[in-house]
Amino acid sequence: MASYPQNFRFGEFVGSLLWLIFWVLIIVTLVGLPLVFIVLYYVPLPPINGEVLTPFLFLTMAVDPSRTIPIIEHFMTTDLFRVAAFPGFTYAALIAAVTIFVERKFLAKMQLRIGPLYAGKIEGIFQLIADGLKLIAKEIIVPSGADKPIFWAAPIAFVAVAAAVVALIPAAPGYVAADVDVGLLAVFAILGFFPLIALLFSWASNSKYPFIGGLRALHQMIAFEIPFILSALSVVLLSGTLNLTGIVNSQIQSYWFIFFAPISAFVFYISSLAELERIPFDLPEAESEIVAGWLTETSGMIYGLIQLGSYIKTYALAALFVILFLGGWAGPDVFPQEIETPIINIAPLYDPVAANATLWFTLKTFGVIMLMLLPRGISPRIRIDILLHTGWYKLIVLTFINIFIALALIYGGILGPGGLLVR
Amino acid sequence: MTSLEDKVEESRKLGLQIVKESEEDRLMTLSVGPQHPGSGHFRFIIKLDGDYIVYCDPDPGYVHRGEEKMCEYRNVIQNIPHLERPVIHDSNNVTYSYSLAIEELVGIEVPRRGQFIRAIASELNRQVYTLYWLAIYGIFLGHSTMFMWPTGDRELFIDLLEALTGARVTHAFNIPGGVRNDMPDGFKDRCIRQVRYFEKRLKEYEDIFYNNPLFRQRTEQVGVLSKEDAAKLGVTGSVVRASGIPYDIRKAEPYDIYNEIDFKVQYMKSGDSYARSYVPFLDMKESCHIIEDLLDKMPESGEVRAKLQPNPKGPPGEAYRRVESGRGALGYYVVSDGTPKPYRVKISVGSFRNILALPYLLVGQKLADMPAIYWSLNYWPVEADR
Amino acid sequence: MSSEKKQEKPAKAANSSSKPSTTAKPPVPARPTAPVAAKPPAPAAAPPVKKEPEPPAFEKGLADQIRKKFGESTRILFIRPLRIKVQVDPKDIVEVATFLRDSMGFDHAESVAGTDYPKDNQIEVIYHLGSYTRDDLAAHVIALATRTTRDDAHLPTLINVYKSVEYHERETFEMLGVYFDGHPRNDRFLLPEDWADIPPLRKDFRIKGR
Repeated sequence: MASYPQNFRFGEFVGSLLWLIFWVLIIVTLVGLPLVFIVLYYVPLPPINGEVLTPFLFLTMAVDPSRTIPIIEHFMTTDLFRVAAFPGFTYAALIAAVTIFVERKFLAKMQLRIGPLYAGKIEGIFQLIADGLKLIAKEIIVPSGADKPIFWAAPIAFVAVAAAVVALIPAAPGYVAADVDVGLLAVFAILGFFPLIALLFSWASNSKYPFIGGLRALHQMIAFEIPFILSALSVVLLSGTLNLTGIVNSQIQSYWFIFFAPISAFVFYISSLAELERIPFDLPEAESEIVAGWLTETSGMIYGLIQLGSYIKTYALAALFVILFLGGWAGPDVFPQEIETPIINIAPLYDPVAANATLWFTLKTFGVIMLMLLPRGISPRIRIDILLHTGWYKLIVLTFINIFIALALIYGGILGPGGLLVR
Repeated sequence: MTSLEDKVEESRKLGLQIVKESEEDRLMTLSVGPQHPGSGHFRFIIKLDGDYIVYCDPDPGYVHRGEEKMCEYRNVIQNIPHLERPVIHDSNNVTYSYSLAIEELVGIEVPRRGQFIRAIASELNRQVYTLYWLAIYGIFLGHSTMFMWPTGDRELFIDLLEALTGARVTHAFNIPGGVRNDMPDGFKDRCIRQVRYFEKRLKEYEDIFYNNPLFRQRTEQVGVLSKEDAAKLGVTGSVVRASGIPYDIRKAEPYDIYNEIDFKVQYMKSGDSYARSYVPFLDMKESCHIIEDLLDKMPESGEVRAKLQPNPKGPPGEAYRRVESGRGALGYYVVSDGTPKPYRVKISVGSFRNILALPYLLVGQKLADMPAIYWSLNYWPVEADR
Repeated sequence: MSSEKKQEKPAKAANSSSKPSTTAKPPVPARPTAPVAAKPPAPAAAPPVKKEPEPPAFEKGLADQIRKKFGESTRILFIRPLRIKVQVDPKDIVEVATFLRDSMGFDHAESVAGTDYPKDNQIEVIYHLGSYTRDDLAAHVIALATRTTRDDAHLPTLINVYKSVEYHERETFEMLGVYFDGHPRNDRFLLPEDWADIPPLRKDFRIKGR
């Protein structure tokens, strides 16, 4: 029931509005504008069409959509765009969101269910938004005796580290946030943070089940880290570089490495499942044994952040699989060289190579993600001793077999510089 | 290899006596339940040495409702609706042996058609229970598809029972003297159709769950209960049959028309968690045959219940009758003092007998085997607490 | 009209119930069959039921074994198809149970039930024993009963004879207050941890509102 106070006066209402506007203006003038000028003084402004993009010019250009194109064109060449938008966080988060929805529907179809249905008119596509709102609205409960700084920092670190992996992934030629020469090593180095975060968080929760879960996560990730790295080693041997873009280019020059290193690809797939704590390797979160493992004490958005991080990680590892074994963005051209748009000419923004690469990269990544979702429907959870045995004894041996195959291919003159199969 | 008693004695010492501080530091005490996704309304306190369980103490009673005391305040018919509460998924079997005991005390003969309908309802209900049990076993091992499929297929039998009795889970269908009402028209064809479909589904269960290498790895040779120990501990139902003792009340002491039905007692010899989870599955298969056989041999018409006096009472005396429920032998010991209210009712339930084996099986196993062993014991916490 | 119906119905019911059933109740074909319903109404449990006509031969043989071994110290209260009830003194119960287990093959206890008899100032504890190892005993249950006084209720435990009575005896302890001498844990089991009333299955414990 809407109600208003008994002593309501319209004049007072208008007066209060004016009072509000007055204070807003005061604060903007005295604090806002000086801040803007200080920032503008230190930030180098980009030149657009030979002119420096001052705020005045920006505002005049933003009014007319056709004149906005150069600004966007310039923005697409900046690092900020790479980090925040395309191969970086937004793209990864978007794929993560689609993954969550697809996983739920896909699993539901497998289990003869319907899945999300009500949120959003069509097949419950807004379920994720509903879940996100619910998580944000929930109270965050910090257990008594918890180590608070670590407890708060760990979920944020989890997302940050997952995003750091994404920064190294090239999604199209030239589209990579950090194009480092030792890209592959950097990926594995960053992935090494995850068990640490799990252990820190579980220790900070001051609870028994998270502690067991954290120890399990540590055991599991260390056991699978070594076959994980070794399985990528045969790819490095075949391509002769650690740079991820270089690995893709060498596959474009010859063939996809999955044909030469199928065992490594298999080991990489298994290890990434273990790294992601997905069924059948979800021991650190095994709910019938240790409640929710190291996530037991998470609540509200802390849980949401960790879930977001783990789905971004899923994207990152699937993308890494595509880059290492499935030829990255290589694929037949489907986009035309030139496009014409009726009202606004967006031709300067249009890059057929990048569009093509993005299409194929996204499609392949999604295929791999689906493959990673599949075991959840068909497999029970594995036991920790079998898991460790698999990691230490079986997968490492398998990777070595493929490393020897790779060496034979190189020294036999089939691949490598000047090899038979190199175009 | 230490004997079973030694192992448990050792664990008792560890748990109950004061141990040295350095040893105590090694151990971590976990209270599994009642707020644990892998326990149900039940708690067991375990102590861990590393990843190994060295001590286990079951502590049921969270859903104790004093059914036995309640029985003493109501007459024999009024007792039926609350007696099925302990296992609402298996309510026909719970009231079955109670009805048998009361019939023995009061001296009633159940009409032949009534006996058949009783048996059909109890077999259908056993399927409902076993599917629910299997679903939880699936999710306990992290197999979510095996949770969804049986809970979905359970509807087949729930629908049948709804058509038969009018309620989906708490039927109150068996009463002393027969069953409450006759079969609806067309029930027989519908029942046969759904049971045949279910038999096809069972093959898929086997493919996705029982033949899954990961599932076999987790359950085979885990929590082995030998034949001798099973007999000594007095476990019952699928647990004792998995240990190589082909003991089924339906065969051992056939009640009503079970001696006319042709079926085999399903049992396995290995006694591990796999056998304990596979025997209920075999029972479900056999149950399908039993239902078809019962529908075949059922007389086309006739009375379904014997008429009772209001407030039926028999002479003073006592009776102990058992049936085979989803969790094993379910016995009612009823003492009557000649009044309409029973003087004493004791329910000997399979769950309560099976849980005795839990400390014996858990000690020395890994923590990850806990759900695989615990739920394979076919334990229903509410039933054990009564 | 309605009165006719009412008259008809009991007649019909009586007719159908008195019809000799084709179902042979007890399974073991060697024994003479006796439908449960045909059993004459058993008199009170207190006087030994010797008026029952012709107890089944197999059960009688079992009872005779017990009688021969222990003589007058055990009383066979009734012999019915598949069921025998034996009453013994508390001091003999371990001995009798050991004999039942070792010589007769009753290897596990199915239930332990306590019944309160305030009139006699006694509590009866009754063990229902079954057999897994002997096939011919599969259908049989021996009820081994013993009585103790209500005021100082304690009995020797059978846990050293039957492992399977462990939780049942614990339950009997908390529900009826019968202390089992030698049982490792005469302890709370099903009741709440803060239970501070008399044992609830005794007859002088009344449910509130009833």
